[in-house]
Amino acid sequence: MNPDLSVRIGNLVLPNPVGVASGTFGYGSEYESLMDVDALGALYTKAVTPEPRPGNEVPRIVETPSGMLNSIGLANPGLEAFVRDKLPELRRRRCPVLVNVAGASEDDYLRVLERLEPEDGISGYEINVSCPNVSHGGLAFGTDPALVERLTARLKRSLRSARPLIVKLSPNVTDIAEIARAAESGGADAVSCINTLVGMVIDVDRRRPRLARGTGGLSGPAIRPVGVACAFRVSRAVAIPVVGIGGILEARDALEYLLAGARAVQVGTGNFRDPGTAARVLEGIRDWMVRNGASRMEDIPGMLDA
Amino acid sequence: MRRFDTPVLENRELSRDYRRIEVEWPGDAGTPAPGAFLTVGVSGTTDPLLRRPFAFSGYDPREGRAAFIFQIRGPATRLLSERRPGTVLDVLGPLGSGFPDPAPGSLPVLVGGGIGLGPLVFAAREFRLRAAAGGWEAPVLVLGFRTADQVPALDLPEGSVLCTDDGSAGFRGTAVEAAERAAAGGRYGPDAPPVFYACGPAPMMAALDRRAASLGASYWAAVEQWMACGVGACLGCAVRLKDGSFARACAEGPVFDGTSIDWGAM
Ligand SMILES: Cc1cc2nc3c(=O)[nH]c(=O)nc-3n(C[C@H](O)[C@H](O)[C@H](O)COP(=O)(O)OP(=O)(O)OC[C@H]3O[C@@H](n4cnc5c(N)ncnc54)[C@H](O)[C@@H]3O)c2cc1C
Ligand SMILES: Cc1cc2nc3c(=O)[nH]c(=O)nc-3n(C[C@H](O)[C@H](O)[C@H](O)COP(=O)(O)O)c2cc1C
Ligand code: FES
Repeated sequence: MNPDLSVRIGNLVLPNPVGVASGTFGYGSEYESLMDVDALGALYTKAVTPEPRPGNEVPRIVETPSGMLNSIGLANPGLEAFVRDKLPELRRRRCPVLVNVAGASEDDYLRVLERLEPEDGISGYEINVSCPNVSHGGLAFGTDPALVERLTARLKRSLRSARPLIVKLSPNVTDIAEIARAAESGGADAVSCINTLVGMVIDVDRRRPRLARGTGGLSGPAIRPVGVACAFRVSRAVAIPVVGIGGILEARDALEYLLAGARAVQVGTGNFRDPGTAARVLEGIRDWMVRNGASRMEDIPGMLDA
Repeated sequence: MRRFDTPVLENRELSRDYRRIEVEWPGDAGTPAPGAFLTVGVSGTTDPLLRRPFAFSGYDPREGRAAFIFQIRGPATRLLSERRPGTVLDVLGPLGSGFPDPAPGSLPVLVGGGIGLGPLVFAAREFRLRAAAGGWEAPVLVLGFRTADQVPALDLPEGSVLCTDDGSAGFRGTAVEAAERAAAGGRYGPDAPPVFYACGPAPMMAALDRRAASLGASYWAAVEQWMACGVGACLGCAVRLKDGSFARACAEGPVFDGTSIDWGAM
């Protein structure tokens, strides 16, 4: 029996549970000749902010044990250039495209949504309140439950379409479940977790940080146990779907998230290592479901013996 | 651009810590050009996690072979140094822009510093082969190293110039000084400034930038920057340009008009 791999988030049905994470897949065309982009469960774009952002000074990247730090700084061409230059090709995609939205103020997020609402070719929004690499906005929102609830509610009210709103959570908080509940109270259709963890690497010989900005966001297999624990706790704190992110390279990694309670997953750093990661992960999930008698994605969380 | 597993044909020591790996390169994988690069997945484990970029140092379409030269610097290059011929390598490429052809009538001077030599050795061979058809002079290759024990065992084109910082092999002095002499030895006057092609450590590139500016010369630079994806998606490999903007080393580069780069920010 072929398992049903589709996943419902709000009014949106994803064809399968494996998407690619914001900031690790550009706008899709970068990977066009390396894999079947249209077969993805979802494509989450690089963050879009109202104004163009050049990004942080270099170096922006350093490898760490089983992971990497990045301090890209939400570099993007800005809302208008996104609509003009990126959206036309995204519109032609046969996979769901979710736009990752960031800003320095509530009004920034609102501006991006209001501009994108009348445009077609967008399946949903992922609200990034969890970027550790900018001084204003991002994480400043994501660590305060009251701000998360207010922002989510305001954004949700502004929506004309039935597109789902996913709030992306940071692990850099005392209690991620509390933030998830705040997003749910504000009307979020789902939460995704986790964004990167704040990290730092120092070059001992030069006695200075390896990243120009000092700190960066840690991603990759090193953060997977943190992500799985977050998905586990968050999925028990809220009734809306949870999208698991962090360190997924193989199907077994994704299945940890799914067993922990996540309804879908995103592959981030894994794309850098092997552009075929998402496809391989999906195949492995399908095989596991057949072997373990799961016929729908919703069956998997209940199969955890905990 | 493709990702594929391909047999290692050769893994040869060239000098104390430089090696050359040659792999099978099928014709339908795209044509490696001088200045362009590939990324290599070096381990099946998460250490190292990321692919590593290397510039092509040669491509033989008839034999279906491509090569790169690397220096053992850390975990990934150490693992690569142990790769036996016959085993397969996980490669992705060709990536990035290559060096533009020299203008007709010009004398290309190719300057490589240390492990930056790969793309210039490749360009020297290509530009020489196509010199008559393209109408430019046979290129002069200038390679600089710190000491004699770095100088690689390679068949370099006739007329190539070697130099070392300490004079232990070739001329004593820097590659940029030697390149300037080579350019002056050509048939250049103030009306025909020289064209350099370069890849090397930051101090060498900064020196070339100053010399090129005072000669009124243009130059093409292949840059190195930390990379995660290598395909233009992560924005990690940004290079600061003099106009204040950033460009991606892996997508707009790695070859840039050298005079457009803010070398101070590298
Ligand atoms: C487009 C491009 C082309 C390259 N071509 C070549 C080549 O032809 N031959 C070659 O030997 N190397 C080349 N490099 C550099 C090569 O990728 C690194 O030497 C390699 O990744 C080192 O990996 P490692 O794990 O052995 O060492 P690591 O532990 O990762 O690094 C060791 C040291 O090498 C230096 N280094 C490593 N990566 C980079 C980088 N991307 N940019 C600047 N400095 C770095 C740093 O000083 C670092 O501390 C190229 C890099 C780029 C971006
Ligand atoms: C280079 C890079 C850029 C990123 N940019 C964004 C971004 O713009 N918006 C966002 O919400 N998350 C961004 N992220 C976080 C990822 O989407 C993901 O949450 C995180 O990397 C953890 O997943 P991973 O371990 O699979 O990479 C970025 C991550 C990396 C590595
Ligand atoms: S290395 Fe990712 S954009 Fe260049």
